[in-house]
Amino acid sequence: MKEKRNFKDIIFRGILYLWGLTIIFPLGWVLFESLKTNPEFFANIWALPEKLQFGNYIKAWKEYNFGKALLNTLYYVGGSMILGLFFTTLNAYALTRIEFKGRQLIWGLIMMSLFLPGINALVPQYVVMRDLGLTNSLSGLVLLSSLGETVFYLMILGGFMKSIPKEVEESAFLDGASHWQVFWRIIIPLSTPGIVTVAIFKFIDFYNAFLSPFIYLSDPDKYTIGVQMYQANKLMEYSADWVTLFAGIIIAMIPSLAVFIFFQKWILKGATLGSVKG
Amino acid sequence: MAVYTSTKKVKRPEKRFSLEKSNVQRNIFLLLAIAPPFGGYLLFTLYPNILSVYYSLLNWDGMTEPVFIGFQNFIAMFQDQFVWRALSHNLFLFIIVPASVVIISLVLAYLLSYKNYFESKFLKLLFFFPNILSTVVIAILWQFIYDGNYGLLNEVLAFIGIDAGNFYWLGDERTALWAVVPAWIWGSVGLYVIIFVNAMDAIPKSFYEAAIMDGASDWTLLFKITLPTIMPIVRVSLLFLTLFTIKGFDMMLILTNGGPAGATDVIGLYMFNLAFGEGTHSYGYASAIGMLLFVILITAKAIMDRYMKKRGIDY
Repeated sequence: MKEKRNFKDIIFRGILYLWGLTIIFPLGWVLFESLKTNPEFFANIWALPEKLQFGNYIKAWKEYNFGKALLNTLYYVGGSMILGLFFTTLNAYALTRIEFKGRQLIWGLIMMSLFLPGINALVPQYVVMRDLGLTNSLSGLVLLSSLGETVFYLMILGGFMKSIPKEVEESAFLDGASHWQVFWRIIIPLSTPGIVTVAIFKFIDFYNAFLSPFIYLSDPDKYTIGVQMYQANKLMEYSADWVTLFAGIIIAMIPSLAVFIFFQKWILKGATLGSVKG
Repeated sequence: MAVYTSTKKVKRPEKRFSLEKSNVQRNIFLLLAIAPPFGGYLLFTLYPNILSVYYSLLNWDGMTEPVFIGFQNFIAMFQDQFVWRALSHNLFLFIIVPASVVIISLVLAYLLSYKNYFESKFLKLLFFFPNILSTVVIAILWQFIYDGNYGLLNEVLAFIGIDAGNFYWLGDERTALWAVVPAWIWGSVGLYVIIFVNAMDAIPKSFYEAAIMDGASDWTLLFKITLPTIMPIVRVSLLFLTLFTIKGFDMMLILTNGGPAGATDVIGLYMFNLAFGEGTHSYGYASAIGMLLFVILITAKAIMDRYMKKRGIDY
């Protein structure tokens, strides 16, 4: 009996490790090749490099204009996160905890977004942005990304806010507090876990965003890291400079990896929230 | 409590006045709290969706004066073989990707929840990692894997004795669309593993106890208890993945841009390239295809919702 168990465990673990390998192996391979020279890579992709070529990373940083792209990404992601997080939280408070006329109508219109596939309106959205003079501008992109309603975020934040007892709020009002004070001093501190979850999701979303920056930014000086990597990859067809692109990919992965390591618990918990909601 | 009511009584005349004042204050607060995000939603999401109906009736390159042409875009669309070719590729992905992702995720989730190995937590994190990578990174990574001369796949195949030569998997019409599938699965599985593991762990142990007493095997437990219990979550996951295979196209945009010779073109990408690609732009025609996509998605969602509800009663 015991032996049978062990045998089963070996098979089970074997399958799990196999999938793990499909993730570690390609990523490890890219890291490994990024430390070689191009001739070494072309000669034999398995051979060890004679000397670790950390210079590839400096070259990638310069060639792909990572400094500028990182600043652009920081501006876009940071701006969208701060503005978006502030408005989403405020909005969730107003929509879940304050009774007012027309609330049902607003909720109904927001719920409609669940039925809109999004990409069918790419063209008119572009025209609207163009008419407002918001194309080819990082600030325009920030406005597009931070102003809007996302049912998923409203649900997460609303969930936390609904669990705050009404009495806490009411007694604050009796003491003469305004809605702003209640929002800053009571709602925000008590829904911090929800806010952090939404912040992480927004970071991953914005950092990984490709389509909107690709559509709206035409000036190479304004490219975010994602668009920059896309262009670098396109140029690779002509330059055949593999090792530098390998290094570039690793650099582009670092912010994701950092956030993942620091916020792993939050991210895994957030993934479950997604399933509850669907 | 007594203090609470007494203050209320004392303050009553004052309160009516402050209530009015606070009503104005409240309305200003509501306006500031709701107008920016809701206005953005109306302007950048709802309005363009309505506008796309109008655009689909135009012949417009986005620059010159638009010409109203009625339903001609739609007539052209149904005769456009590229539309049908792209849709057939969507159908291919629709059949293969959601089912593969769900099956692989279910297997991995079951293995992870079957027994708590000491490395389980690490494996969960590792499996999830591709999900936080951007599509650009995933696509470039898989391009390296599929490259003919130096790609990882051909080298690994050579290592185990299969000589694929310099076959470029993404460059051949016969294999290109197939090659997109693993990249897509690789980038999606982790999330569903986590969702399914959590769902399986949440099943109360008492569900199993009686069956175990009766001597039920692991297989029986899996198929009679575990899977039926988490079925609602599996169905939602399937719906989500399915809708994504209909509208998703950024992976193809980056990997192949629809090539070679349109072998990986999907409907979203075809629409995107008509509007934003190189060469002449046709916003009107792209919007008409957007409308088609909208109808397909709504229909797919309605059919799946209905089918799922029916199935739900069975269990």
